[in-house]
Amino acid sequence: MALPKRIIKETERLMAEPVPGISAVPHEDNLRYFDVHIHGPSQSPYEGGVFKLELFLPDDYPMTPPKIRFLTKIYHPNIDRLGRICLDVLKSNWSPALQIRTILLSIQALLGAPNPDDPLANDVAQRWKEDQNAAIETARQWTQEHAKP
Amino acid sequence: MNLIRNNSKGCLIAESDEPSFDPPPATRTSALMVGSDIATHNSEQTDRVLTPPHYDVRQLVRLVQCLQCSKPFTAPVTLPCGHTVCRECLPSAEHRANISWPNTEDRQRGYTCPFPDCGTVHPTGECSVDVTLTKLIDKIRVEGSKATQLAGNHFMLLEEVPPRTQTTPIENRVFQYVGRTRELPGGRLVATFTMAEMGELGHASEVLYTSTSMTVEEEQVLDTNVRSCIQEAALKELDCLVCYNLMLDPTTTSCGHTFCRRCLARVLDHGNDCPICRRKLHIPPSLQDQPSNARLVAILNGLCPDLVAARVNALNLEEQSAESNLSTPIFICTLALPSMPTFLHIFEPRYRLMMRRCLEGNRQFGMVMYNQANHPQGDLGTTPFLEYGTLLEIVNFELLRDGRSFIETRGVGRFRIREHGMLDGYNIARVERVEDVSLTEEERMEAEETKDAQASAEGFQRQHPNTPLDPNLALNLKSTHELLTRCTSFVERMRSHSASWLSTRIVSVYGGPPNDPALFPYWFAAVLPIAEEEKYILLRTTSVRERLKLVDNWIRRIEGQPW
Repeated sequence: MALPKRIIKETERLMAEPVPGISAVPHEDNLRYFDVHIHGPSQSPYEGGVFKLELFLPDDYPMTPPKIRFLTKIYHPNIDRLGRICLDVLKSNWSPALQIRTILLSIQALLGAPNPDDPLANDVAQRWKEDQNAAIETARQWTQEHAKP
Repeated sequence: MNLIRNNSKGCLIAESDEPSFDPPPATRTSALMVGSDIATHNSEQTDRVLTPPHYDVRQLVRLVQCLQCSKPFTAPVTLPCGHTVCRECLPSAEHRANISWPNTEDRQRGYTCPFPDCGTVHPTGECSVDVTLTKLIDKIRVEGSKATQLAGNHFMLLEEVPPRTQTTPIENRVFQYVGRTRELPGGRLVATFTMAEMGELGHASEVLYTSTSMTVEEEQVLDTNVRSCIQEAALKELDCLVCYNLMLDPTTTSCGHTFCRRCLARVLDHGNDCPICRRKLHIPPSLQDQPSNARLVAILNGLCPDLVAARVNALNLEEQSAESNLSTPIFICTLALPSMPTFLHIFEPRYRLMMRRCLEGNRQFGMVMYNQANHPQGDLGTTPFLEYGTLLEIVNFELLRDGRSFIETRGVGRFRIREHGMLDGYNIARVERVEDVSLTEEERMEAEETKDAQASAEGFQRQHPNTPLDPNLALNLKSTHELLTRCTSFVERMRSHSASWLSTRIVSVYGGPPNDPALFPYWFAAVLPIAEEEKYILLRTTSVRERLKLVDNWIRRIEGQPW
């Protein structure tokens, strides 16, 4: 099946005007599959880290949201051990007017503002609530250990 | 396996009194370039051939002129009938009578449509500023003022020629056609736009041009440049935000956002929120009766007819390869209802295959009942199944070791079978979606029916003061809201009497009664112990009021018998 014009245009724009701190490059043999790198936001425990993600545009994109997963290990209350992300715009709040760019920005923002009240990784969220400083310290250590640029 | 819609294909060009776009043949000659009418009357002065940027100048400017005030649009509102006027040109809102559902604030008042061919009262909530047109005209204004500055000392003399035949009622409601003359900077295009902006060029007027400082060639260069600047700026606003292509058959929502008709229809398959502002859209998902945005259609055809044609061709190619005729698998078994769960035990091999294929695909299939009485089914003739059914989506699937399976499904829509065939032992069909009319139509039906019933009831009671009314007439008298209240209070009453058919077990399967009156009848039918053939009638209804009346009839029957 030919690649829809929308995916071609989105890819072109991502290449021509990249978002600072975010890169998304499609695979040559599958233009719906992207390698994504997100830089940890400054003044967050993820600062200095570069996180790898995979992004896939399903057949009925943009009617359904892209599928995205962290490949780099990350200590975050809304991201589980398998790298799955708990983010409303990736699920029920998806809208076809959103795009790869806005979704990646939302994920970057999620790194800067963890939300332990809507957890995906229960153990991490609990720790975050009980002893935030210790949790942030662990997140920082994991970043240094796993997300080296 | 998408439901096939009546008019989902091709480009609908709206018919209306919005400006259409028919450029006169490029070979037409005239010393003074004017619109078609006048040109023929000056045809003796044939000393030069007109080139493309010139012959359609007047018509291009007309594309952005409000039909009522004749100025280029300010805060344009595209009404539910597809016409556009400036917000300021709308009459003041008035109360809409005899409407009880949905009695929301933004639907209690409405504007009488200023377009004589429409004339309906549009609810205020459906008259938002057209976002695309607003941005487009802002861009054109910017390009226009840039061009005015660049024009320097070049001036055109413009003479307004009011139409000799009568203007339409909306065109002369506020504008005085007197035939003004102005000398304005720029080429023809910019000067014409400026004159319209000054409120001195009537929508229906033509223009006679005289160049006061330029040669013909200079004039043409100026106009060609301005036109391509405008086109470039405009095209950026004319992309659909769903497919990123040039808008095809632009269709505007009640919140003022515009998409390709087919993109909006696809969005509505997935939910009824506007993709941009997330406001709820109360329109039938197939957009069958939703008119296109006539002004945007005209602008697209006027500004870039070649791009529009290319877009239509590309789409036709795409759809030819993608659509097969009989794309919905059909399961003949039981009555299923929209938004309600249906549980199935799959054991026949042909249905095992069908379910496997469904699970690999979009998890949807159609459920229809057996035609036990052998009644003919519309155009289909006598078929083993009934023609109306429910589209089901698989939510849970449990495969047993011996290959049988239990599946839990939920009704996601209604359909009517238009054509059917067989595939590997099971039925497949081409189906057409069955859906409710728009809210406006729903409100119109309520207002009309209650008003008529009121009149008949008064007449009847004058003649037979002590006889009770015919039950059907009494039913028509009730407002939609009263019908709903009666249904819900009946359910409450039955619950407090612990009616056996409302046991906890049943409610735990089907949930409590939904608040949405559109869905309530389906829930009621799911829990009510009456024949399925009677419930089947619900699948054919196209309005909420019609369904609530059916429920009311059932309630009346139940109340007539002891429990």
